[in-house]
Amino acid sequence: MATTEPEALSPDFHVGHHWDKADTQFDAGRMGIWIFLVTEILFFGGLFCAFFIFQSWYFDSFVEAHNQLDWRLGGLNTIVLITSSLTMALAVRAAQTNDRKRTIQMLAITIACAAAFLVIKYTEYHHKIEEGLLPGANFTAVGFHSANPKVFFSIYFMMTGIHGLHVVIGMGLIMWILLRAAKGEFSSRYYAPVEGVGLYWHLVDLVWIYLFPLLYLVG
Amino acid sequence: MSDDHGSVSGGTPHPGDHAHGGPDHVPHVTPLPIYFKTFGALVFLTLLTIGVSRVNLGHATNLAIAIIIATTKAATVAAMFMHLYADHRFHTAIFASSLVFLLVFVSFTMFDTEFRGKFGAIDGTRVTNIQDPFNKIPPPAPSASAAPAAGAAEKK
Repeated sequence: MATTEPEALSPDFHVGHHWDKADTQFDAGRMGIWIFLVTEILFFGGLFCAFFIFQSWYFDSFVEAHNQLDWRLGGLNTIVLITSSLTMALAVRAAQTNDRKRTIQMLAITIACAAAFLVIKYTEYHHKIEEGLLPGANFTAVGFHSANPKVFFSIYFMMTGIHGLHVVIGMGLIMWILLRAAKGEFSSRYYAPVEGVGLYWHLVDLVWIYLFPLLYLVG
Repeated sequence: MSDDHGSVSGGTPHPGDHAHGGPDHVPHVTPLPIYFKTFGALVFLTLLTIGVSRVNLGHATNLAIAIIIATTKAATVAAMFMHLYADHRFHTAIFASSLVFLLVFVSFTMFDTEFRGKFGAIDGTRVTNIQDPFNKIPPPAPSASAAPAAGAAEKK
């Protein structure tokens, strides 16, 4: 930082006249992201609530049905998402330290990890659809001893599907940040969008941290 | 931390002034090794939760351990990757408040769903034997209230 003139960093950046200082502007933006994350947590919370109710009501079905999920693929996806969280955090750090090349590299790896997650998820979905392990009325698989495995798959597809949608949206957001980073918009004085998208991405990871043991491991 | 409001738009940044409050935002940069150690801890906890789930400790115990490990991982991500450890405590409070309300949401809903159909005889809208609500056998009806109880039974 000593070698770069502060004026050369993020030339288009300015502090809005209604802020007393740059830190206030930055903190207000970050607080806004945190409040958005609260709404996301409560949104997923509805699904987790449904999971716990139906797991309690149809306990035997959940235990039997969850064995149809491959914990190896689920575990692999967990590692992939944790890796993407690391690279996202490193991208924010690179933006903080004015390392544009590293920022772009790390964001690109994060998108690649997100894509890998979706490919693994696709193979899992494909297998389930082939076997007829589908939600509710579409459930056609046979050979279950318990009465309601279809309820488990309703919950499974809804929770992982909405989580997968968040991964797709996250890929779009990270691509947007990557393009802006390539234009040299971010620096130690202005990296709020990188940080904000990063917080969202970590939340997507956080939801999966709960989905994986509940759906794949315990049932 | 000065209240030098006038210097925001026109002031020149002071080189070496890393204290907050200047016209420029100065980021709090986490050292690289901390990020790698955080990643290592998350991978370790993932392998741990898979390992523990292979051992049958009874469903309730397995579920409790899985949720404890997941919460440890979530707290690690929130503190280190999401920078809550160095951020304003108010942001931690916002995050924690969502978890409190999530707990209220899930637990109060399950106070209902867990006990549906498990109460004893109901007279109108009340359990007939409030001293023992889960006992399906109604209490011996005192002769004075025998008539209304019979009326309620007819309605069903």
